[in-house]
Amino acid sequence: MMLGILVGISSLAVLTAIGEGTKRETMQRFKNMIGTFDTIIVRPGGGQFRGMPTLVNVPQTLKFDDARSIANELAEVKAVADVQTAFDIDVKYRDRLSSPAVFGVSANWLALRSEDVADGTFFADEQNASLARVAVVGADVRKDLFPDEDPLQKIIRIGDVPFQVIGLLAPRGAGPAGGSLDNIVVIPVNTASRRLFNRDFLTMLLIQIKNPERGTEAAEKVTMLLRERHHIQPPALDDFTVTNPAATMAQMTRARNTLSKILTGVAVMALLIGGVVIMSLMSIAVSERRKEIGVRRSVGAARADIIVQFLLEAVLVSLAGGIAGVLLGWSGMQIATRILRLPQILVWQPFVISILLSLAVGIAFGIYPAWIASKVDPIKALRS
Amino acid sequence: MIKIENISKSYSRGETGVVDALKETSFTIAPQEFVVVRGASGSGKSTLLNILGCLDRPTTGSYRLDSEDVAGLSDKQLSQIRNAKIGFIFQSFNLLPRTTAIENVEIPMVYGDGHVDRNRAQSALERVGLGNRADHFTTELSGGEQQRVAIARALINNPALILADEPTGNLDLAAGGEVMHLLQALNKEGRTILLVTHDDAVAAYASREIVLRDGQIVSDHSQNKARSPEG
Repeated sequence: MMLGILVGISSLAVLTAIGEGTKRETMQRFKNMIGTFDTIIVRPGGGQFRGMPTLVNVPQTLKFDDARSIANELAEVKAVADVQTAFDIDVKYRDRLSSPAVFGVSANWLALRSEDVADGTFFADEQNASLARVAVVGADVRKDLFPDEDPLQKIIRIGDVPFQVIGLLAPRGAGPAGGSLDNIVVIPVNTASRRLFNRDFLTMLLIQIKNPERGTEAAEKVTMLLRERHHIQPPALDDFTVTNPAATMAQMTRARNTLSKILTGVAVMALLIGGVVIMSLMSIAVSERRKEIGVRRSVGAARADIIVQFLLEAVLVSLAGGIAGVLLGWSGMQIATRILRLPQILVWQPFVISILLSLAVGIAFGIYPAWIASKVDPIKALRS
Repeated sequence: MIKIENISKSYSRGETGVVDALKETSFTIAPQEFVVVRGASGSGKSTLLNILGCLDRPTTGSYRLDSEDVAGLSDKQLSQIRNAKIGFIFQSFNLLPRTTAIENVEIPMVYGDGHVDRNRAQSALERVGLGNRADHFTTELSGGEQQRVAIARALINNPALILADEPTGNLDLAAGGEVMHLLQALNKEGRTILLVTHDDAVAAYASREIVLRDGQIVSDHSQNKARSPEG
């Protein structure tokens, strides 16, 4: 009879725990990647694009002038950061080697992500303008190149160009695809463009908007402006893509909420069925144990004592189902975490709520049989 | 000990109307009496026993137990009286199945002060000669042993009044004799005993006999207490 409670509680616990866990994790990963939620991303090329845009895999359509124009002409925009990204560049310090992503960015990039350096400094606009060879390294690169040295002021070689390390980025953790966001070296975008890569186009623009609530409108404005600058007349396809991470995430959250609503409904149904089963089995128990009730009444049990006894039994059964359900749910969650490759989630509230819920089911569905038990006529019960 | 005045009890029996189980019955029982109530089936014996045992309430009339009027008491108060002052012994023993002898004896303690004293339960079993059967399940005991467990259960809270409904009805002669010896000993300790029976041999143990017919007392007299079960 505990099965319904067990199934109900375990699925409820797992679902809420996984739902809550993934929600937090998705938020965190998006935040890791883009820094803030008041940001719009523009990258070159139209249509679907997966992975990280770099100098070798994007069309050369997004220019520095596009970035300036967006920053200067659109009232909705607070700031624009230029980004030029390349992968698989060898970065060396003495005999040590690392292959991080190299980010050429404008000086406002770090502040726009509302981040700060962990140590040292980030470069300023002047250093960008003067093509300074300075670098800020991520936590993974620091581990690779400077396992037991202070990296600040050291000279590293990016490609074959020497750079001075002036700062360390704070660790950022995993991105939406699961990979590390710390395996990077950040240098001024002008230095990257002219001294390192010799490329005059950008791989990404980070646009911070003034009013995060109106991200969709701002994204529309950016699109219109870029179409005009690139002389694109629909139905011709855009040679750039504007994404609004907040909107994308909201959509994902909605989809997941719908799913978890359905599953929660199923779990609640299972709980109710479990409760009804407890009620009917307790009712059977009452009629089978009429003699016991009579005996207990004759030796001094008041009606209230009988109610308490049978209610307690129902609650114990339900609670046992609930605890078993929580254990099952916990193991199920560990398995789901492995299979779905979710990060380890430590959410305990659903389990506490589940225990309380099974307690409530026991009381709600145990009270009626207990009341029936208390109404058993001891005289008839003793004579039978 | 017991004083009932003009007690009546009627039941409604569907279409046929009202059945009077007891009609205007009155009597007094002094402490330490051993009273047997006799009468044919339907004469009102069981109804009387249930009312005296606070399991049932009279339709009219008053019942004083230890000079306390039971009429106005709540379910909880009546339960406390049953727990502290009255010990029941039934024809069918009414022990709980899947339960050991000593656990049966302990049940009334649960509803008293709530403190279950295993030593006290053990002494009660020894008192009825079943000290070595404490951990046997009730189904493993003979009829006579089961009834003695029931007597130990009735005694556990040291009640002044023992109500027995055909206590030997399901027992053979020897076992019935043992049970009656026990009841006689309890009476000599100072407990009031009221016993319902058909059996002349059982009735012979009592010091007073009340005979009921159609819900009324037709005879109430003391009898020669000296008559021993053997003679």
